[in-house]
Amino acid sequence: MHEQSLFASVPVHQHHELLQQLAGLTAMQPRHCLERRLIFKAYRKPGMAGRTGASQDLQQGDLQRLNKMLNGNMYYTQVVGPVSESDFGSTAPVDQDTQMAGMDDSKPYGSSSSPSYDYERQPWKLEFRDIPEAGTRSAVTSRLMSSATLPRGDVVQAMNAWGYNFVTEYVVEGDMFIHNDIAIFLHRVLHYPGGDELSLPRRQLPALKDMTLFEKSGSYVLQAFIIVQDGSNQETMKTASQHLFGLREQLKSAVLLEQADRLSLDTRAK
Amino acid sequence: MSNLTQEQIKVLEQSRQRLVQLTRSLGSLIASLNQSDPLPPWTSLQSQASIISNNLISVSDQLSDQRDLLSNLVAYPGPEYPGRTQANTLEQLLRTKLDPRVEDWVARGRAAGTEPATGPSSNFSDPDAVHKPLSDAQLTQLWEWAPLEANQEARRRNWGGNFTLEEREAGIENVVTGLRRQLEDDDGEEEEEEEEEEESEGEEGDGEGMDVVGVHRKPGAAEFEFNIAPHHPHPVQPFVPLDLILRHMTTGRMP
Amino acid sequence: MADSFTLPLRPIPEKRDRPDTLPVEIAQINNQWGSFREVNEDVLRNKIAEEEEKDGLDEVDERDQDATDLDSTERLEQLYKRRAEITQFAMQAHMETMFALDFVSLLLSKQAPRQAETSLSAFLKQVAPLGSLNSEVVNPPPKPESTTKDVSAVSRGWRIQNFNAAANKLLQAASRLETEVAAETRYWNEVLTVKDKGWKVSRLPLERQSLGVQYGFLESAPVFRDRGLASLRRAEDGALSLDEGLIPAKARFVRVRVIQDGRLSGCSKPTRSSFNGDGTIEDRILQARDTVYEDELFHELVREARAIASFGVTTRQNLIQIPASDDLEILLDLVDTDEDVSEPEHCISQQGTSIAEGLARTIRILLAYAHRQNLRRRTQLPLPLTPKTRPVPEHQLIRPALAYIKHMSHVRWLQSLLKDLYGVLHSASLRPPAYTARIFSTRIQSQTSPAPAVENLVGQFLTPLLSTFNGKILTPRASFSIAIHTNLSSPPFGTTFDVSFNMPKYPDIESPGKLSHREEVEAAITHLLLLDVVFTISANSSLKSECNEDQAKRTWESIYPQHGELLIPTPKPNSEKRKKMKIALSRHELSLEIYTVRCIDGTGRGNWEKPSYHSMPHTWKPSPIVGAPNQPSLMDFVSTEVSRL
Repeated sequence: MHEQSLFASVPVHQHHELLQQLAGLTAMQPRHCLERRLIFKAYRKPGMAGRTGASQDLQQGDLQRLNKMLNGNMYYTQVVGPVSESDFGSTAPVDQDTQMAGMDDSKPYGSSSSPSYDYERQPWKLEFRDIPEAGTRSAVTSRLMSSATLPRGDVVQAMNAWGYNFVTEYVVEGDMFIHNDIAIFLHRVLHYPGGDELSLPRRQLPALKDMTLFEKSGSYVLQAFIIVQDGSNQETMKTASQHLFGLREQLKSAVLLEQADRLSLDTRAK
Repeated sequence: MSNLTQEQIKVLEQSRQRLVQLTRSLGSLIASLNQSDPLPPWTSLQSQASIISNNLISVSDQLSDQRDLLSNLVAYPGPEYPGRTQANTLEQLLRTKLDPRVEDWVARGRAAGTEPATGPSSNFSDPDAVHKPLSDAQLTQLWEWAPLEANQEARRRNWGGNFTLEEREAGIENVVTGLRRQLEDDDGEEEEEEEEEEESEGEEGDGEGMDVVGVHRKPGAAEFEFNIAPHHPHPVQPFVPLDLILRHMTTGRMP
Repeated sequence: MADSFTLPLRPIPEKRDRPDTLPVEIAQINNQWGSFREVNEDVLRNKIAEEEEKDGLDEVDERDQDATDLDSTERLEQLYKRRAEITQFAMQAHMETMFALDFVSLLLSKQAPRQAETSLSAFLKQVAPLGSLNSEVVNPPPKPESTTKDVSAVSRGWRIQNFNAAANKLLQAASRLETEVAAETRYWNEVLTVKDKGWKVSRLPLERQSLGVQYGFLESAPVFRDRGLASLRRAEDGALSLDEGLIPAKARFVRVRVIQDGRLSGCSKPTRSSFNGDGTIEDRILQARDTVYEDELFHELVREARAIASFGVTTRQNLIQIPASDDLEILLDLVDTDEDVSEPEHCISQQGTSIAEGLARTIRILLAYAHRQNLRRRTQLPLPLTPKTRPVPEHQLIRPALAYIKHMSHVRWLQSLLKDLYGVLHSASLRPPAYTARIFSTRIQSQTSPAPAVENLVGQFLTPLLSTFNGKILTPRASFSIAIHTNLSSPPFGTTFDVSFNMPKYPDIESPGKLSHREEVEAAITHLLLLDVVFTISANSSLKSECNEDQAKRTWESIYPQHGELLIPTPKPNSEKRKKMKIALSRHELSLEIYTVRCIDGTGRGNWEKPSYHSMPHTWKPSPIVGAPNQPSLMDFVSTEVSRL
């Protein structure tokens, strides 16, 4: 799969208004999103991932895909987990097994009566992005991408087995809009309080209000993207970028959507 | 030989200069008419018209101010004038008879001035009433009173603002605009502008003062456009540029 | 100069592209943008972009105006005529002043040749040497009084006339402004009224100078969604009018007609009666909204009808025919609301009407539900882009309603079948316990779905329908259950009857399982009840004669329960005559025949069976008359038969 994107920096004073403009444009209410993002870095060329015991929960298809995308160069890669507002500042569930046993898989968190956050039930997705393609064929950021569902809970062990070390983690908060086949994500990075880097992902989340802004002025990043199934299909790739340009035109009086600096999205681990 | 005094020569010179201005302004009107298709911008036409009118007034003032001299001054060709060959030109120069069209214009003025005035017909509330023409004295009185009064009235209006004077006096917070955005009360600016204007134009009497109206009116359609990205009163520009944010998100590296 | 030479106070329409003079521009910029310091490049770029966008649209506006005003070529002609006049006057005036200037210059050239020369015309310079005009101050006789008077009369005349003209112009301008203000006030008040009623008022996307009202449905198919916007035009007097473009002003609605046994038995009424041209703006908006909804509804109905042609649904131009169940047929068409309903009214039944009205409401609710589903779908993260476009699935409008009707019809049929059978049994004084029916027992999903309650409610209607019937029968610990499934939304389509028996006495009897035809179901149920009757007879007939030692063994034994056959074994030892009973059960009657067979074990059947004694068949039927004379009960009858041997 390929991801085509355009980016813009949105100063904080423009945020509220832009939300309204996007809501008007897409004729939908913003969907608020909170995501934990764990950054991993390859420390060796990955071998066969299937041999490790930690990956036994994976579907065969996902496994193959993972192997395919992790082989080759050494990369930074992200593990993304959706969280909800009530997960922040809440305690671990008292009785994990009984409470979680009957739950529907699609709703892993937040449906029990008192808010609690159970790291062991946290769903994760491995999100891989290659460095954006070089050359200025078109004025969009185009990069090879892939994603796969990981087993719930602690992913560090599995990632280690694939040759990846945990680097750091942060939280992304933002709002998602959908405009036909374009996803528009207006988001910013939150850091955990205390600042000191832990060597492992957190098992508990601090209160949301204690999270600190990475960009101190509170500005947002606007990313508009389309995922293309088959990146080798020139026609579809062209359609996607044309749709993005169309959006850029529609938003040009509000924000300037641009191709990102290629090296700022360089995922290669040196 | 004539014996014009320096003073009289100066008067003639003044007249000449004013005529030069009038001729030029008429010339430039003709030129701009010829250069544009179909017409020059109406603002430009209007300002040219007012320039011509001012020049005309200044010539006319000169003629009436110096009436004593000018009506007593006679001109005749000197011996140097090639009277034989250029008789037509001489006739043209010394002509005192009015052009037929001007004659006609004068006649119509005479008719209007001597016959009992037919009165302005359309805009008075009861057309049946036969208006007695005003006496000379009344007319003079009216004409002395009117310009001052009109100018005063004009100055009591806010010709370019978002609120009328009445609204402002009643308190602009009570005005129902139906708009969500806040309309600024631009009273302060207005006064500044007025001052600037007056400085640049100078107060040149009543006729000039009337222009207050003309210059301020400018309802460009663009004014009604909403600005999609209006200026924020407290803009906060990001400290960290976009590429560094993206880099941080990709690798966790701090800028 | 002629008095026709006046400059218009009103701007000439063709002024738009021209730059303003600088001071005016500066004043305007100050007004609009505040100080120059706040103007930056980005702001200006945006501005330019907006202007460019607007340009194309203005053109349209102007054309519109011209159409009502003067013909544009005529107007242009007039304009050039006026221009020529202005030029001519200007040239004339220029010439006159040139003469005057030449004269004064030549006159002055004697005293001040250097200055004077600059303003002499080239022509005069050529023909007359400098200083060739002499001047002298003379003392002419005073002008006659009449001349002075004449001059002042002329001057007064023109002044009066010009003041009058100016006053007229001002008054005209004032009254024009006044009517304009009044019209604008009226227009905006009406716009506000519309807005206060809750309608969404915005500028039109393709005509940004105009206001529009949005009454359509954002989640409709694009062609209908785009129709959901009409501009709010201002009439000359400021009255608000709704400009719907190409939409027919006629109000239409989807009519549902129910045909029962080939006759019209019900017809749905329009949701809103149309008005005759003098409705308020609100009425017009509502009508426009209803019409676009009805148009979309019919469009979607036709689309769905084509997709479900396999159910026997046919579509003709503007008519959908749906064979719903048995003798029920549904007709859907799009008709004008004010169309005269000239159908004969005498066939209209209350039931037909309620089906028609119910159906009419159902399909509308389902379209609204489909809209919500569309919203849900389009706000999900999009699937990866592929070259193929994904087909838009047909909405479920007819299918759920049709499923409901079909299901209901099957339930009714089963209820009447059971009622008949139980009636027959009752008439024979057999008292099986009552069965329980749970109509529409589709399980309520108790999940805490994030969707609003109303969506969950309608959503249930789209799931397969289920009704269950459970009953115990006379045989101890025996029971039956029938589940009716109807599903038209996803394969397998149609209705199935899941029939299962629990008959411990006949363990080899298998439950019939899934059946799809009523005949099969009737046969299966009847069969079960027949077995039940047979077992009951064999189990109970002996009790009556318990006291009689002799007859202790003489009871009815079932030999071929599947055929309802029972036998009294060995009434007398070695006797070949045996008494045999054959029971038949249908939904109409229970009949019983008793005959004697000669056969060793009485098991011979068919033609070999030679009944020597043949009783008249005895039948029990549910009596149509209440309190009809009681027949002997079945049990009494068979007991008697036992003892009669």
